[in-house]
Amino acid sequence: MITRKALPRRTFLRGIGTAAIGLPFLDAMAPALRASTVAAPPIRMAFFYLPNGMIMDAWNPDYEGKLGELPRTLKALAPYKDDMLLLGNLTHNTGRALLDGAGDHGRCSGSYLTGVQVKKSLVDIRAGVSFDQLVAKEVGGQTRFPSLELGMDDARQAGDCDSGYSCAYTNNLAWRGETQPLPPTLNPRLLFERLFGAGQPMTPEERARQAKYRRSVLDFVTDDTHKLETALGPTDRRKLDEYLSAIREVERQIQQAESDNRQVDPHMEKPYGVPADFAEHFKLMSNMIAIAFQADLTRIVTFLVTHEGTSRPYRELEIPDGHHPLTHHRNQPELMEKVRRINEYHVQQFAGFVEKMKTSREGDRSLLDNSMIVYGAGLSDGNAHLHEDLPTLVVGRGGNYFKTGRRVLVRRETPMCNLFLTMMDRMGVRMERFGDSTGRLNGLDLG
Amino acid sequence: MPQPRGRIASPGAFFDSDFSTIDSALAVSLLYGLQGKNECRLAIISMSRPNLAVAGFADTVQRFYHGPAATFAQLPPIGMSTNGAPGETPAAFVAPFQKKQADGTPVYKNQVRSVIDTGDPCTLIRNYLEAQADQTALFVLAGPATNLAAALAFPGLADLIAAKVKHLVVAGGAFPAGPPEAHVKADIAAAKKVFAEWPTPIVASGAEVGSALEFPGASIEKQFAEAMPDNPVADAYRAWQPMPYDAPSWAMTAALYAARPKEDYFTLSGPGMIDVDRDGRTSFTASEKGNHRYLIVDPAQKEKITLAYVELASAKPQAPRRFGPPVVPPPDVTTPPLKK
Repeated sequence: MITRKALPRRTFLRGIGTAAIGLPFLDAMAPALRASTVAAPPIRMAFFYLPNGMIMDAWNPDYEGKLGELPRTLKALAPYKDDMLLLGNLTHNTGRALLDGAGDHGRCSGSYLTGVQVKKSLVDIRAGVSFDQLVAKEVGGQTRFPSLELGMDDARQAGDCDSGYSCAYTNNLAWRGETQPLPPTLNPRLLFERLFGAGQPMTPEERARQAKYRRSVLDFVTDDTHKLETALGPTDRRKLDEYLSAIREVERQIQQAESDNRQVDPHMEKPYGVPADFAEHFKLMSNMIAIAFQADLTRIVTFLVTHEGTSRPYRELEIPDGHHPLTHHRNQPELMEKVRRINEYHVQQFAGFVEKMKTSREGDRSLLDNSMIVYGAGLSDGNAHLHEDLPTLVVGRGGNYFKTGRRVLVRRETPMCNLFLTMMDRMGVRMERFGDSTGRLNGLDLG
Repeated sequence: MPQPRGRIASPGAFFDSDFSTIDSALAVSLLYGLQGKNECRLAIISMSRPNLAVAGFADTVQRFYHGPAATFAQLPPIGMSTNGAPGETPAAFVAPFQKKQADGTPVYKNQVRSVIDTGDPCTLIRNYLEAQADQTALFVLAGPATNLAAALAFPGLADLIAAKVKHLVVAGGAFPAGPPEAHVKADIAAAKKVFAEWPTPIVASGAEVGSALEFPGASIEKQFAEAMPDNPVADAYRAWQPMPYDAPSWAMTAALYAARPKEDYFTLSGPGMIDVDRDGRTSFTASEKGNHRYLIVDPAQKEKITLAYVELASAKPQAPRRFGPPVVPPPDVTTPPLKK
């Protein structure tokens, strides 16, 4: 029916209690008659930050141009290489010591999205407004959450995390103000309730009531769901079903993690609802990022996968050593090999997220096509604490803008902030300078 | 602006040149010799013309002196302007890459294949100036002022230069008066801007200074060869023109004075202002309020300068040391006087 009224983009399934579930982009939101006047899908951006640098010989290919065989660390992303831009030579000068001595880990994460040299202090913390927050300030009002800040590790905000640098620098990526970091959400349960509740975590009583009856958040919106389904065509019904199934699956995984935690070790340090398993935790958090993007709940996510200086062991890889100590390998082959395996493992988890983004349709494109997902680190060589040639992978086309499938080398010492300026443009926020930028990155677009 | 905590690092040296003459390469060697004595650290080498072959040579020299990668030490790229004409490529700067080891492999590897292997001079200057303590950085200009003029126009960089730089020593011009000198003439607008706007003291070493103080070519086969059988600067010197010959030392005079201003190598003019006319001719106007001076050759110091040239430029590469007092050699190992 070409006269049909379009379903508003920001439709929510509402129900009793606090449930309010956003919807993915449906064909019903863009009826055929008005297709030409419907606004283009929004662009999303996310940052997946990995700590302690990489073993660069397994990250950097020995060629430029069209991506061919991927280096070992990136192999898991081979099915998506046509959606990737692998950038080389980007530098964060503000992460360097300059005149502040030791503390590269504290500096590099503090400066990563802020583009400023953070103040070396345990109490008088001072960074800068991170560029994701500058974008969130401009476009965040169009979504339920201006931005989401996620993590998987220790979120201490005080104390000395690196040679006199406050933990506020290592444990946050996003900064709303010079002195206002935005601590990441670590707990999948809390994130789930933020996304699919009324924007706030449940009270303990609400959570207990829901658990008692083993009910899903979807049960609370059953009436709305049925009403909507009757108004949708078969394609949209299938899309809605897949979407709600994905939410249900995440919810089920969280319940499983909670159940496991009770059974495995009641004294474990992990908060209730946080999976003990790294891969499971990563999958839960990244699935929720994909769902949040799909439902346009937010367009900006920062994900501090683990923080600089983390000593997390990877027993699932039979690596009981801490990650950070291993990265100071002094070029010993056996230690370097362990770090390579950790780097690979991280990318394997990320590939699952990329697949989810790639298979989520949005109009005639994938969700990934309309996104810019940066996977990177604030150090290249973690052993030598180098801040140049930072490992930087951009996945997604940013709205049919980036000419992907390439390894692009820029001039050495080109500021990372130049990439951020380019990304800001794609998000519709125009600035002439950010951090230590010297211009935009040229040659990334379709031309 | 942050200042260093604890021990003070030796001053950072910034060397900018068009590398159109052999003395530019010798000046780099000299600065590395000073680095070996902890009198300065060569922070950045930048080039004022877009010539990849010459940038490749400068990069090779830098790698030669830097040695194998050291932990917590980074090797910056060569800064290279992408504006203007590439100019002539001296054959002597390409010749070292033809040199082979006994097994047939090249002695030196040119790692500058394209512009991406170099850096933007202004970005490099900005990044590495930020790591210098206030009023300590040494700037040596031995070529057209193209990059330094661009630096003055780069957002925020003029203020950083004012805060961090001790002085700029320019190998260029002619003093107190003379015909237009090649470096100034190559980019008159840039020279005018730098002499008019550079925010720190400037000392000029006119063409007459470097012409009067020749680098002794005999040291290439003696001190240089004894220190290191393979040295790209020595190999370039041999290829520059038929040996033996002595070379004018324009860039070396500027580098030597920049790092050792308190030595009595040169006589210093009184204060004043240097101007550049539209033909590229420099002039000096004495003024108590002036921030510019120029070097005057003192014939009595010629041998001392020559000794310093050879001792510093022929020194073996030393791993960079960040902290510590300058290294003073004991008197008995001072290089003996040279005989041509």
